[in-house]
Amino acid sequence: MSDINETPDEAGDTGHEWDGIRELKNPIPRWWMVSFYASILWLVLYLILYPSIPLITGNSEGLLGWTQVKEYKDGMKEVEAIRAPFEKRIKELDVGGILKDTELSQFAIASSKVLFGDHCAPCHGSGGQGTSGLYPVLVDDDWLYGGKIETIVETIAEGREGSMPGHKDSLSQKELDDVVKFVQSLSAGSFYAPGKKVYLGETAGEAECAGCHGEDGKGLTDFGSANLADGIWRFDGTQEGIMHTILYGVNEDNPDTRKAKMPAFGEKLMPEQIKKLAVKVHLLGGGQ
Amino acid sequence: MSNNQEDSLYNFKIVQWFTFCAVLYLLVGTFVGLYIAAELAWPFLNFDIPYLTFGRLRPLHTNAVIFAFGGCVLMASSHYIVQRTCAVRIWSDKLAWFTFTTWNIVIVSAVITLPLGLTQGKEYAELEWPIDILIAVSWLSYLFNFVMTLANRKVSHIYVANWFFLAMMVMITYLHVVNSLAIPVGLFKSYSIFSGVHDAMIQWWYGHNAVGFFLTAGFLGIMYYFIPKQAGRPIFSYRLSVVHFWALTFGYVWLGSHHLQYTALPDWAGSLGAAVSLAMIIPSWGGAVNGLFTLSGAWHKLRTDYVLRFLIMAVAFYAMSTFEGPLMSIRTVNALSHYTDWTIGHVHSGALGWVAMVGIGAIYHLIPVLWNTKMYSENLINVHFWMATIGTVIYICAMWVSGIMQGLMWRAYDEQGSLLYTFAESVEAMHPYYALRVLGGLVFVGGVALMFFNMIMTIKNSGQTAEATEGGR
Repeated sequence: MSDINETPDEAGDTGHEWDGIRELKNPIPRWWMVSFYASILWLVLYLILYPSIPLITGNSEGLLGWTQVKEYKDGMKEVEAIRAPFEKRIKELDVGGILKDTELSQFAIASSKVLFGDHCAPCHGSGGQGTSGLYPVLVDDDWLYGGKIETIVETIAEGREGSMPGHKDSLSQKELDDVVKFVQSLSAGSFYAPGKKVYLGETAGEAECAGCHGEDGKGLTDFGSANLADGIWRFDGTQEGIMHTILYGVNEDNPDTRKAKMPAFGEKLMPEQIKKLAVKVHLLGGGQ
Repeated sequence: MSNNQEDSLYNFKIVQWFTFCAVLYLLVGTFVGLYIAAELAWPFLNFDIPYLTFGRLRPLHTNAVIFAFGGCVLMASSHYIVQRTCAVRIWSDKLAWFTFTTWNIVIVSAVITLPLGLTQGKEYAELEWPIDILIAVSWLSYLFNFVMTLANRKVSHIYVANWFFLAMMVMITYLHVVNSLAIPVGLFKSYSIFSGVHDAMIQWWYGHNAVGFFLTAGFLGIMYYFIPKQAGRPIFSYRLSVVHFWALTFGYVWLGSHHLQYTALPDWAGSLGAAVSLAMIIPSWGGAVNGLFTLSGAWHKLRTDYVLRFLIMAVAFYAMSTFEGPLMSIRTVNALSHYTDWTIGHVHSGALGWVAMVGIGAIYHLIPVLWNTKMYSENLINVHFWMATIGTVIYICAMWVSGIMQGLMWRAYDEQGSLLYTFAESVEAMHPYYALRVLGGLVFVGGVALMFFNMIMTIKNSGQTAEATEGGR
């Protein structure tokens, strides 16, 4: 090894050898020792400044008086000071009042973005676009239960549960075919006369479609019954899809039934949060 | 001493087997890691098969790389080093084979039970209680054989690498036994005797010291033998070895609480963890300095010695990770980094950069010695070196960007004090970095596949497969 001997070897070795490996007696580099002592000093300082020593009851508090709860509260105080003027008015005003105030509406939309993302978007989509056939669109002006701001608050707080009887056993195959054709014809602006009779319950099957969907088929928001005449489909607008809905109904006690249930958020969210969400949904495009 | 004499003096066959298993498990373990990284980027890859979901394969990945690869490379090198540096055969061949067999049964059990969803739900300690008991038995047989070999040594002093191995063995016994204390309610189900914040604290006391003693102390033992041996240079400073050894073993056990900043853990425990963590940068660097300075006067060897490149690059990554870790333990930084991909990036700069590279370097040194031949291809080692380095760098850079971005998105407010991003938006923003991570992982795993091929060809060409030598000795 003599050919590569440089300064490190001048220190000599410890006199031991293991499988050909020797150890030199070089002193520890000065910068390392200085940093090492500095580390110990740092450690002592830190233990004095912060709560870090467990005692018999409680612990040392540290000169800085820091605790993580205090840090949390300070941080919250800071951001709440900025929000406070807005939050105060959100609390005081009813939703209609919030909607009239452009600045406050903007705050409601911004501050409910995360609420919407966490609670609404999983079903209704991140932009309120809905999930085809499963969850309603929120960006259009087609409302099952009504698009007034107060109604939207009610929908969010109390949830909604659709209902429609299945007609598998009450209607004959002919009646079923006819009424499906009629429902399809509503959106086309024409009326398939034989089907209309079934729709109005004037045939043997005594279906009562008009009772909920209205004689004109435009739906009644009091029941949350869908508008059948606007070409927008809650579940599926194809012939098979409409047939399926009529056969098995909505939220009925059979495995093929359509499901339409929105949970009540009144138990999860604060009234102010629901107000904000309602404003956001209202302003997505279709509020009435 | 000629190789034949060494063969009769030392038990190299046990080392051969552990070495072979180490490379095999590295390939399997990193491949599973690659697959789950791809699942995070493209979730359809779990194909709705429960056994392939991220939650079940992730513990398989961590257990395979830490305990299967890490364990085998530690057992290979410590069985090798303790014999050579004590100039004596391993105390009991039978006990060594017992350790080998039981350790591999543990690994096979993990491969079966983890995808089935049988887990204690403790990170890096997922395996159920019967396997935990087997781990303890296997580990104690390893410890006992090692200590008896040391006691039988033919040299007056114990070499520094063996201090580190012994520290690891003692501490891992303690950590594993305490953290695994549980009340069984069936063959495959048990409940930890700890609960709530105590359970969390015990878990991270274990978790951090699995890193500290298994993946750091143990692998420093590997470094302390293979760097001077490969470089043909004496250890730079005996005194530095002593000081940093004791500073490291004293300091590491305090650090676990830094994993639980801003939780129900009392403030004092978190502060203590953070303070000692920062004070650990310099002791950690002591090992890196001693390794790098050992190369003084032999730096030119890096141009031609690809094995040495692995070992030295590993030390560089070690120095970087041991700076980054303490940094992340400071509360202010932790508030941003915790629960983000930055943690994953940090773990992999240590796991790929340090643990894997130093282990791979050691194995490339061992293979020609153990099978008494030359490596099938030196060039492939060089290609592997660059693939390992580039793969690691891509991986950790992707996770740094992704992690810091995540942390910033989660806490971003607009001027009215409203959060700017939803959680789902932060997930969406991660996608390109998750894809980049898959690329980094692919390059790294590709390198490991080359290594596996190189090893197989070397053993084949040596004319003595592990099976063939069995009858011969």
